[in-house]
Amino acid sequence: MVVIEEHKHPQHNIKSQKFDNPDKLYLPVSQHTGKPASVCMEKGAEVEEGQLIARQNGYISACIHAPKGSKVTDITPWYHPNFGRMESLVLKCTKESKSYKTRSNVGGLYPEELLDIIQKKGIVGMGGAAFPTHVKLKPPKNIDTLIINGCECEPYLSADYRLMKENLKEICKGVELICRIVKPKKVIFALEDNKSDVAKKINLFSSIKKFNIPGLETTVLKSTYPQGGEKQLIFSTTRRKISGDKLPLDVGCIVQNVATCFAVYEAVYLDKPLIERMVSFCGDALEEPKNIWVRIGTTLQELFEKKILSFAGEPKKIISGGPMMGVTLDCLNYPVLKGTGGFLFLNRDAKNYEEQPCIKCGRCVDVCPMNLMPLMYAKMVKHEEFGRLNEFYIKDCIECGCCAYICPSRIPLVHYVKTGKKYAVADK
Amino acid sequence: MPLQISSSPHLKAKADTPFVMLQVVVALIPATAASIYFFRQRAVFLIAVCISVSLLTEHIIYRIRRKPSTLGDWSAVVTGLLLALTLPPATKWYAAILGTLFAILVGKHLFGGLGTNIFNPALIGRAFLMAAYPKMMTTFTEPFSVDTVTSATPLSLQKFSASLTPLKELFIGNVAGSLGETSALCIIAGGLYLLIRKIADWRIPLSLLGSVIIVSLIAQFLNQANASVLFHLLSGGLLLGTFFMATDPVTTPISQKGRYIFGAGCGVLIMVIRYFSGLPEGVMYSILFFNSLTPLINRYTPRHPFGR
Repeated sequence: MVVIEEHKHPQHNIKSQKFDNPDKLYLPVSQHTGKPASVCMEKGAEVEEGQLIARQNGYISACIHAPKGSKVTDITPWYHPNFGRMESLVLKCTKESKSYKTRSNVGGLYPEELLDIIQKKGIVGMGGAAFPTHVKLKPPKNIDTLIINGCECEPYLSADYRLMKENLKEICKGVELICRIVKPKKVIFALEDNKSDVAKKINLFSSIKKFNIPGLETTVLKSTYPQGGEKQLIFSTTRRKISGDKLPLDVGCIVQNVATCFAVYEAVYLDKPLIERMVSFCGDALEEPKNIWVRIGTTLQELFEKKILSFAGEPKKIISGGPMMGVTLDCLNYPVLKGTGGFLFLNRDAKNYEEQPCIKCGRCVDVCPMNLMPLMYAKMVKHEEFGRLNEFYIKDCIECGCCAYICPSRIPLVHYVKTGKKYAVADK
Repeated sequence: MPLQISSSPHLKAKADTPFVMLQVVVALIPATAASIYFFRQRAVFLIAVCISVSLLTEHIIYRIRRKPSTLGDWSAVVTGLLLALTLPPATKWYAAILGTLFAILVGKHLFGGLGTNIFNPALIGRAFLMAAYPKMMTTFTEPFSVDTVTSATPLSLQKFSASLTPLKELFIGNVAGSLGETSALCIIAGGLYLLIRKIADWRIPLSLLGSVIIVSLIAQFLNQANASVLFHLLSGGLLLGTFFMATDPVTTPISQKGRYIFGAGCGVLIMVIRYFSGLPEGVMYSILFFNSLTPLINRYTPRHPFGR
């Protein structure tokens, strides 16, 4: 665990904006963990806002919906931050945004029906990994603790914080719904100490029993990175340890991100699929860092063309995601995906580092939240001793980047781990 | 718009290797100042010789090895300065040059350069001089003496003539000894700076000094005539070795458990040498011995993965 300068000021204190009239949308068929969705629209088809355009394909997969009333102009490979290029639906928006009415019989829905809605509305985990939520909420084991993750431990990003500031009641309603599905004994709302104002509000809700959430309590954790990592968060809140090869449900826990809870609320109450999300746009290359509600599929290019964002000088590095785990992009053609929490535009803060010899100081070992020995991976990958990587549990690595952050020799340890993981898999 | 593509993370901590090494130099400023105060021009001369030879050797080796020079990373300065601070004030110029050459050439670069050396280069240089010029390396002079009046170190006096130096003099540093080892006060100040800035790990100093305290307490309990705990802590090269050589990242264990073992082992060995050997002091040999054990300690003290 490391303490990193937060860089969240000032955008975390600025009210979020909304941008809902894009011209074109690019929707890759894979925006989630698991199998890509299968396209169910012909080229040239007219679609309504919220209409299904790519169907869930297999158990671990998710549906994709049209974020706006539009025409499908093309189905072609397009820029994707994780895969380079990925088959995508290109939509030309033709209609105004739809308004959503509140469903009347929410209280009468059975857990199975709720789960069905979540599945059909294409909800995925919005903290980054984009794991299909309907799978996570149907655990094969008993769950006693539901943890709501509001940590947002990545520096710069503040989308979750803004969401909690502006839509806390809706998030809590979403948590209520999730509780009806998984029936936990206890619900822990986990926040970092830079968000204690939110914690106070939730404690108030809890004391007046505003929501029907069993055993709701807040835990305010120290702002360290990666506090919001699933395994670290479960340990910090419940003292239960999960090894690299186990899942949260093995210790009776489920972790849900606050944005996912909000998406569940919208899906059930408003019948609205996951077509929009709050995204942080930050970094020193932006004139005005801010949080914006954008439709899924909106490209960065369009946000700059429409003057929603503007550069303060030439950016040197553009990152999809946070500074610690994000992926660098090579142009502005990349779209916002379901799991995109933010984009980072760096100018002065983008630095190039040259790798120096390892001085075996052990700082990487000291900070590793999974108690691994990252320096060994770098050494083994360099010497191509791939067979020994598993001895040192390379697969337990969550690639949080603490080791490479702290390394005084500027060794790109995460890069070596990613390379090593590929070969370690091939070896077995 | 040319954009950089790189692997995550995209933020890095400020402390890089040159910064860490520079902090060690900064932490050595009090001890260096004390050496100059007590041993005057001898100290200035030896420190200047060692640092310049160290930098020059390093530069030439990088030329020969056709590698980008890392003179800017301050590690050669640290080695030169540390070696100088472990030399007796009357060390001759040729010995200082040879010692530094040996430290950088054999101690550091024969093993592959920065990060791959097994032994602490400064201590290797000193060990070489100890073997090459045993007389010169064990002849110490009084502080402030311009005409080099020879004198025994407090440890020798205690061991061979059973006379104890007052603790106050030991603490201030107004005693005979190597250039930078005499003033406990200045070394502790620099050492604390390293620990507070988290440049050095506190586990090795803690376990090393802890084991020295425990062993000397036991020794005193068994025989009242033995020197006190404070005497052992403040005399000889113990503090300089503890804070500046036993905390060298390259030659000490990686894991925290390993560092405790390293420190405790060093401390015990130092006391064994002080009590039972023919030498008055054993800091250098103890640290070098445990340097050689570091790969073994690393092997048996891997960190246990989270939750497994």
